[in-house]
Amino acid sequence: MKKWHWIALGLLTAASLIAEFIFLTDYPKEHWWSYVPAFYILWGFVGCAGIIFISKWIGKLLLQKKEDYYDAG
Amino acid sequence: MPAEMMIPPVLYMIAGALLLPLIPKSIRSAAFILFPLIALAVIWSFPDGYLIKTSFLGYELILCEVNRLTRIFGIIFALIAVIGGVYSYHIKETAHQSAALLYAGGALGVTFAGDYFTLFIFWELMAVASTYLVWARRNGEAEKAGIRYLLVHLFGGSLLLAGILIQVNQTGSILITSLVPDGSISSWLILAGVALNTAIPPLHAWLSDAYPKATVTGAVFLSAFTTKSAVLVLIKVYAGWEILIFFGVMMALYGVVYAVLANDIREILAYHIISQVGYMVAGVGIGTEMAINGTTAHAFSHILYKALLFMGAGVVLHTTGKSKLTELGGLAKAQPVTLWLYMIGAFSISGFPLFNGFISKSMVVSAAGEAHFDTAMLLLLLASVGTFLHTGLKLPYFTWWSEPKQNITPTKPPVTMIAGMALAAFLCTLFGVYPTLLYDYLPFAVNYQPYTLYHLTEAVQLLTFTFIAFWLLRGKLAGEHLIALDTDWFYRRPARFVQKVFVDGVNAAFDYTDKIAVKIVQVMVKFARNPLVIFNPAEKGTDYHADEHRASTQLLTILIIFSFVVFAIVSLLF
Repeated sequence: MKKWHWIALGLLTAASLIAEFIFLTDYPKEHWWSYVPAFYILWGFVGCAGIIFISKWIGKLLLQKKEDYYDAG
Repeated sequence: MPAEMMIPPVLYMIAGALLLPLIPKSIRSAAFILFPLIALAVIWSFPDGYLIKTSFLGYELILCEVNRLTRIFGIIFALIAVIGGVYSYHIKETAHQSAALLYAGGALGVTFAGDYFTLFIFWELMAVASTYLVWARRNGEAEKAGIRYLLVHLFGGSLLLAGILIQVNQTGSILITSLVPDGSISSWLILAGVALNTAIPPLHAWLSDAYPKATVTGAVFLSAFTTKSAVLVLIKVYAGWEILIFFGVMMALYGVVYAVLANDIREILAYHIISQVGYMVAGVGIGTEMAINGTTAHAFSHILYKALLFMGAGVVLHTTGKSKLTELGGLAKAQPVTLWLYMIGAFSISGFPLFNGFISKSMVVSAAGEAHFDTAMLLLLLASVGTFLHTGLKLPYFTWWSEPKQNITPTKPPVTMIAGMALAAFLCTLFGVYPTLLYDYLPFAVNYQPYTLYHLTEAVQLLTFTFIAFWLLRGKLAGEHLIALDTDWFYRRPARFVQKVFVDGVNAAFDYTDKIAVKIVQVMVKFARNPLVIFNPAEKGTDYHADEHRASTQLLTILIIFSFVVFAIVSLLF
C-alpha cells in the first residue's frame, strides 16, 4: 500500500462521514442500527475481522484436513 | 404469428448441439455462438403472454410460457451462452461445445416450461449435459467429481419427480403454479429437488465439489445455469415461503465461511455462488414485489459477473496450469488486462457503485429492510462484507499481487478468452451505470432508486473498512495445503465402506462362485470326454470312441435297462 492509497481511503471515509452527519441527519431511522453513529464502518471492520477469525477457528477445530484426506486409505 | 416463432427457444439450442458435429471445424466455433444468438433474438421478440401448448397422454403441456419473469431469465441465459461461446472460441472439442449448448438449452427449457413434465425433462437434460463439462477436464479428480455430481443430481431429480407424481395424483394438474406452505408432502419433495439445484445447504456440496474441477470454459457455463434456473422455479412456485429467508441468509454466510478456508481460486468462486444465490433465495422467501424484482435483477447481474470471475480464474488456470493460492502470486505484471477485467467482476459482486451488483444486491437487502426482516438485512450486509473480502481482495491479492510462490511464466491466453471477459465486463458496467436498462424489464414496476446518498454512504463505509481489516489481517488469509470438509463428507467418506461391502464384497463372492463353477465344469468335461470312466476307473485318460467302446456301452445300457425293469417289477409287486 502506497501513501496515496491510505490518503484516498481517508478521503472516502471523511466524505462518507460528512454525508452521514451533515446531509443524512433527517434520513428516516428505520432499524435499530440506524441510531449507531458510523455503524457501517463498524460493521465492515468488525464483520470482516469476525469472518476471518471465526471461519479460521471453525476450520482448525472441525473442517480442515490434509489434501489427500479422501484418497488416503 | 410467423411460423418460425412457434418453436420454443430450447429447440434452437438442441438443434445447434446436434448440428455442431456436422459443421466444418473452421467455422464451428462461430456457429456455436450463432445458435444462442438466434434463441436470444427469438426470446426478445416473444410477446408477453405467449404460449406454446401441446398435449401428451391426456395432459396439456405448456412448452413455452412467456411473461416478464421468464423473458428476463431467458434473455440472460441466452446472452451468457453467447458470451461463453466467445470465451470458448478456441475450444475445438465438438462434444464439449455440444454439451454446453445442450446445457444452455436445458436452462431455457426449464425457464419457459409451464408444466412439471416439460420442466422435469429439461431439468434432467441440464444434469446430464453439465456433467460432461466436468468430465471433459479428463483427469482422475474430474472423473470422480463428475460421477458424484451426476449421482447427486439424479437423486435431486428423483425427489422432484416423486413430488410431481404425488402432486399430479392429488390435484390432477401438472401445471406449474404457486404453492402455499400447507404441509403437503408433494410441495416439500418438489422444494427439496429444487433446493438441491439451488445449492441450498446441506444439499449444496455438489457445486463446490464439481465446479472447481470442471474444464476452464465449462466452469463458466456451469456458473450460470443450474442454480439460477432453480431460483426461477423457486420464484414461480415458492415466493413468500418465509423459511426460505432463513435458508437464504444461512447460505449467504455459509459460502463466505468456506471461502475463507478454500485454497483453489475456482473453489473460492464456487462458494461465492452459494453465497450470492443466498440473496436470491432470501428474496424469494420475502416474496414482496420489490424482493422478487431484486431476486430477478440479482440473478441477472450475478450470471454476468460470476461468469466474468470464472473467466478470469480460467485464464489463470489456462495460462499457468495452476489454480491454488499456495502456488500462485505475482501475475499482475504479466496479466494486467486479465487482472483488471477480473476486478470489474470483483467490484460488481462486491456491490461497488457503478457496477451491476450494486443495483441488484441492494434491492434485495432493501426489500428485507422494507419488509421488516431486520436481522436478515443485517446478516446479508455482513455476507456482502465477506464477498468483497474473498472475491475482491483475497483471491486477486494472492493470485496477482502477492509475492510469487513459484517461478511461473504464464503463456499468452487466446484473444477470444479476453474478448469474452471484456464483453461480460462491459455489460457489468453498463447495467451498473444505467440500471433502468435492467429495471425496465423486471417482473414488476420498479419503484427503487439505488443511487441515493444513503446507499452510497453505506457502501463506501462498508467496503472501505472491509478493505482496511483485510489489509491488517491479510496474513491469515494466505492459502494452505488443506481441504475443508463439507456435507459431501456424508457420501464421500462412507464410500469406502460401501465400496468394501457392496462392490469388493460382491466381487469376491462372484469370484468365488466363478472359481467353483469352473472347477465343476472341469470335472464335467473329464466325464464328458468318456462317461464310461464313472463305471470303469481303468478307462481314465482315454477319450470315448464309439467303435472301441461299443461292447462296454452295450453292456452298460443293458445293465441300466435291466435295473429299471427289476425296479419296476419290485415296485409293482410291493
